[in-house]
Amino acid sequence: MRNRRPISDESISSTKVGVGRCCGHHGEFLQGVFADDVHHLKRGLLTVPCPIYRSHASFWPRETGPVTVRPAWCTKAVKAAELTLKLIKESIIGGDLTIDSNIPPGSGFGSSTADVIATIRAVADFAQLVLPRDTVSRIAVDAEIASDSLAYGDQPVLFGHRSGALIETFEGDYPRLVIVGFDTGDPPVATDEFAPARYSPEEIETFSILRALAARAIRSGDAAALGRVSSVSAEMNQRHLPISRFADIVKISGISGALGVQVAHSGNVAGLVFGAGERDQVDAGRRILHEEGFGKVIEFDVFAAPRAWS
Amino acid sequence: MNGFARSKLQEYESPRVARLRPNLWGLAFSLMKLLPARFMLDRAEETGELRAGGHIVETTSGTFGLALAMLAAARQYRLSLVTADSLVDDVFEHRLKLLGATVVVTEDPNKSGNQRVRLDVVRTLLSQDLTAFWPNQYANAHNPMSYASVASLIIRKIGRVDRLVASVGSGGSISGTAHFLRTAFPELEVVAVDTYGSVLFGQPPAPRRVRGMGNSIVPENLRHDLIDHVHWVGADLAHQATLALYRAHGIFAGPTSGAAFLVADWFARRDPQLKTVFLLPDEGYRYLSTVYAIDQLGDVNLSTESISPGPLIAQLGPAGNDADWSSFVWARRSLAQVMSRT
Repeated sequence: MRNRRPISDESISSTKVGVGRCCGHHGEFLQGVFADDVHHLKRGLLTVPCPIYRSHASFWPRETGPVTVRPAWCTKAVKAAELTLKLIKESIIGGDLTIDSNIPPGSGFGSSTADVIATIRAVADFAQLVLPRDTVSRIAVDAEIASDSLAYGDQPVLFGHRSGALIETFEGDYPRLVIVGFDTGDPPVATDEFAPARYSPEEIETFSILRALAARAIRSGDAAALGRVSSVSAEMNQRHLPISRFADIVKISGISGALGVQVAHSGNVAGLVFGAGERDQVDAGRRILHEEGFGKVIEFDVFAAPRAWS
Repeated sequence: MNGFARSKLQEYESPRVARLRPNLWGLAFSLMKLLPARFMLDRAEETGELRAGGHIVETTSGTFGLALAMLAAARQYRLSLVTADSLVDDVFEHRLKLLGATVVVTEDPNKSGNQRVRLDVVRTLLSQDLTAFWPNQYANAHNPMSYASVASLIIRKIGRVDRLVASVGSGGSISGTAHFLRTAFPELEVVAVDTYGSVLFGQPPAPRRVRGMGNSIVPENLRHDLIDHVHWVGADLAHQATLALYRAHGIFAGPTSGAAFLVADWFARRDPQLKTVFLLPDEGYRYLSTVYAIDQLGDVNLSTESISPGPLIAQLGPAGNDADWSSFVWARRSLAQVMSRT
């Protein structure tokens, strides 16, 4: 039988370090409940990827347990590492995990999810495996109460964050957008303790419309349509987790010429959504947010293409 | 009701999308009413209003009754439909009975449609069977709500549209589709197509010759405040447009579809830069002996332009006849607001 490994086994020693990365998110364009292929309702979301925030995990394996982690409070990452090791069925049952992240915790940036996914990738990397994205998502869901679609990276998906299953893979890439994010001024939300929203039949039907509009926006690169999706989803979320200054935020969006408002549906950050290249509008939005007393303003591109291609 | 039983007629309720001009799309249903009927039954099953083997009671003379009868057969419910002898024909009644429905025909010597008598019979049936479920399509909020799936289909398959044209009967399809489409496209213009003798938009009641459109009462489900323009189309023009739709585009539909086509095609020709979509609620089979019973192909106009150059601009309360067509700027007002100004 042909040797499948061109490199000798000794060179892949058990002390090999595994590394993994995952970027954070900035809330969602859309969150609600959606029918799956067999008409069952599932909670789901469409994430706003935030490439300026990222978590980096390193995993040094050991043949004896347990898995330890620095910083010590990343307990979900420990659970994710253990679950991944169990799945891989290696003789390795322990290791040292280090998480290095610039994602602010507790604000809806998906910091713990990014840590968990970076960890799963690090463990898989040590084992020289590429795990399917749905496997990564399912491990993440097992390690957390709610998860999100960070495992899918820049592929826009409608992700079942309670079930860990995909509801819909949208055809295409995110339209080119600039997000100006900020702190809403409301207290942080502990995702684990946040009771899931209950939606009326009218809201459930409206979610199906927003899902269709998101699909169309992504297929046709229609930034304005995705801005509309975000604004309606944000407004609907006011009934479940109200942002106290939501009316002000909508007003600022209108004055600055933004395409819409997106929120973290279970967090305290929000963002103005702009089309790529709308520099004047972005600057106006930043200025008015500052004047109105909104803090922690950040700016990032969602799926920016090189300027020369535009 | 399990997922399989629920999904039995699912594909039957979706329309085909037909592009008739670069800026004109028709959504052609086999039987549009399957959509609200199925949605209402699903919700009633969820709340326990309708239980396995239960009894459904409704007053209808039209396609809503057929839709209920199909679903009742597929889901094994008992069904009683109350109609009037002026409204139901033998062939249609036979179809309903073959599906297992009990058809209660009331006498209607004045040919008024007998709404009040029919409702009394429904109430009597409901009082005799306390577990019976009355979908009540004119007032049930789940009727318009069911049209979210039509709006979704438009968004996914066509994308941004500027105008919706739909004929009105119960008010469910136009109100639901308009409401949900505006969630995506807030500037959407909504055009209601009615017929002379219908009270839906403030005219005095009179006998109507077009089946399936107009009404002798104003249903709660009609949201007048969503409507930008109202067009009244007479029976002759509706029937000619139905034949034109068949001859020019191959689409075999009922006269409510023809009336909507006449109006939508006129708008599409007038505003080539705007995208118009219209609804075709049923197929032509039921109208073979009426709309489609013509002797000479030469009598068929191939274009809507040759049927009529366009509507007359109406003040409210146009005394139109079967060969007329009028339009009125409704401007998203309530019925009371419009009536107080005339």
